[in-house]
Amino acid sequence: MAAIELDGVTKRFGDVTAVEELDLTVPEGEVFGFLGPNGAGKSTTINVLLDFVRPSAGRVEVLGMDPQADSVAVRERTGVLPEGFSTYDRLTGREHLEFAIESKDADADPDAVLDRVGLAGDGDRKAGGYSKGMAQRLALGMALVGDPDLLILDEPSSGLDPAGAKEMRDIVREEADRGATVFFSSHVLGQVEAVCDSVGILRDGELVARDSIEGLRETVGTGATLEITAEGVTDDDLGAVRELDGVDAASTDGATVTVQCDSEAKTAVIGALEDAGVAVEDFSTRESSLEDLFLAYTEGSAPDEAPDDATEVDA
Amino acid sequence: MSWEAVARKDFRDAVRSRWLWVLSALSILVFAGAAVGRLYVGGGNQQEAAALLRGFLFYLKQGTAIIIPLTALVVTYAAITRERESGTIKLLLSLPHSRDDVVLGKFLGRSAVVTLPVLIGFVVALLALLPAASGLDIFVYVQFALLTALLGVVFVGIGVGVSAAANTNQQALVGAGGLFAVFWFLWNFFVTGVNRAATDLFGLSTPDQFRLRLALKILNPIQAYKTLVDSLFMSDLEARIRMFSMLFGMIPNQQAAQALGPELSPAFGDAVVLAAMLLWLVLPLAVGIVWFREAEL
Repeated sequence: MAAIELDGVTKRFGDVTAVEELDLTVPEGEVFGFLGPNGAGKSTTINVLLDFVRPSAGRVEVLGMDPQADSVAVRERTGVLPEGFSTYDRLTGREHLEFAIESKDADADPDAVLDRVGLAGDGDRKAGGYSKGMAQRLALGMALVGDPDLLILDEPSSGLDPAGAKEMRDIVREEADRGATVFFSSHVLGQVEAVCDSVGILRDGELVARDSIEGLRETVGTGATLEITAEGVTDDDLGAVRELDGVDAASTDGATVTVQCDSEAKTAVIGALEDAGVAVEDFSTRESSLEDLFLAYTEGSAPDEAPDDATEVDA
Repeated sequence: MSWEAVARKDFRDAVRSRWLWVLSALSILVFAGAAVGRLYVGGGNQQEAAALLRGFLFYLKQGTAIIIPLTALVVTYAAITRERESGTIKLLLSLPHSRDDVVLGKFLGRSAVVTLPVLIGFVVALLALLPAASGLDIFVYVQFALLTALLGVVFVGIGVGVSAAANTNQQALVGAGGLFAVFWFLWNFFVTGVNRAATDLFGLSTPDQFRLRLALKILNPIQAYKTLVDSLFMSDLEARIRMFSMLFGMIPNQQAAQALGPELSPAFGDAVVLAAMLLWLVLPLAVGIVWFREAEL
């Protein structure tokens, strides 16, 4: 059975369409990464799953239930780290967890949860004095209470330092090993790549791609983009580069060459360009961004689901 | 039950705000003041002392009738809108609470916040009063305290209902402030207007006009509270007639006495007046619950 099923879901706020005709299925037990830039409609989709907002059209099922009619039943089995939340300033961290335990009728030890999310020793402090990252950890702790069948984490790494983000991913893995389905939204490619089994990529309210993490890796390579400054390059000069092992894509606008490739292939790429008679002036590498990812998925090598109008994306 | 968890959490949260403490101090001061005044000035004469207590509570009612609704509204108007504006509602509704339970839990939690100071103040006063009190005094005192607590709960219901129906703090503030103005300042204009229109249309007799005006006045929870307190010291008929008098009851209205007397219709008895107050407890909460079900967060 699917943990989450969206069928033609559209959500409009006045004239603005936040999500359009979204079809998405997340099987039980999967760690699903919901990827997209800020404002793509990720949070709106999650808010529909939680019955915070109601879809303008389409059908939604969470754990086999209608989130609107069976809202409480859905949330009894779901742990949520919402986006744009704030804590109760006057209550301590432990009181937040006690409230979550009482609300879910669970049998958990607040101190064990505090320890698990890295807040050991901060439980008696008022949450009003917590940093953004600590509040994020606290809400994650509240979500974990009661071993939910489904975890919905909306931008869980925001406010966390790299070490915190790593701890968060470890927890996601532990939960997945326990058998939970994890629905994880992020605008950071690396976060999703590191922990998810599969991804959905949302852009301007539409699902641009739905792929396994292996498929994603194949499409984006290992995530490096090489930018080479060189005068008067034509597309013909790139033939040899494209033939190289570890190169996924190469393009040029005449002044710059952009190559998606493995980091090890960098030297070979530059060598191949120079062999083709191109005078390389400068080059730099950067991590693949979401933009590169959209490009990769909409440049022909992408899966069939990519809608036609997504090709209008600029380089 | 889910609303219990919400109520407990809300109360725990609210207890840490300075409001509860300011209210408690104020309430103890007022109630205990009444008790001490009685002991001091009353001296040994039982009858004189009883009259003094009645006189004191009689005027105290004028104060509680404005302070209790006002504080209840201040404590509650943002009960739900503030959670929506700050985003704590997302944390709250990520947990398995229905929206109805959130509104009910808020109502219960805030009711405790508003009534607890009244009851604490009352108990302190009672302790001070005990040595010299007669049984009748204590009975009247208990009823006065309970009615005052009920007035608080009614306005907590109104405030939480408004907060549940509003989308923003500002809307809730306008709604709660507007209702307070209606009950406190505008209601008698409304009563007069309706009476005039009905008289023009149906040619009501003078007694009928007074009955209509009385029915409309009773529908105001603040006026209902006042006349119920008056009923503690005098007959129901006298208490209702007082609703038409001027200057805090110092100038009685003879016409009203003639129209409503000599026997008060059971339709205007204490039970009916109490029911009118409870209507104001249920109605705004119900409207708030239904509107909040539809809200997008």
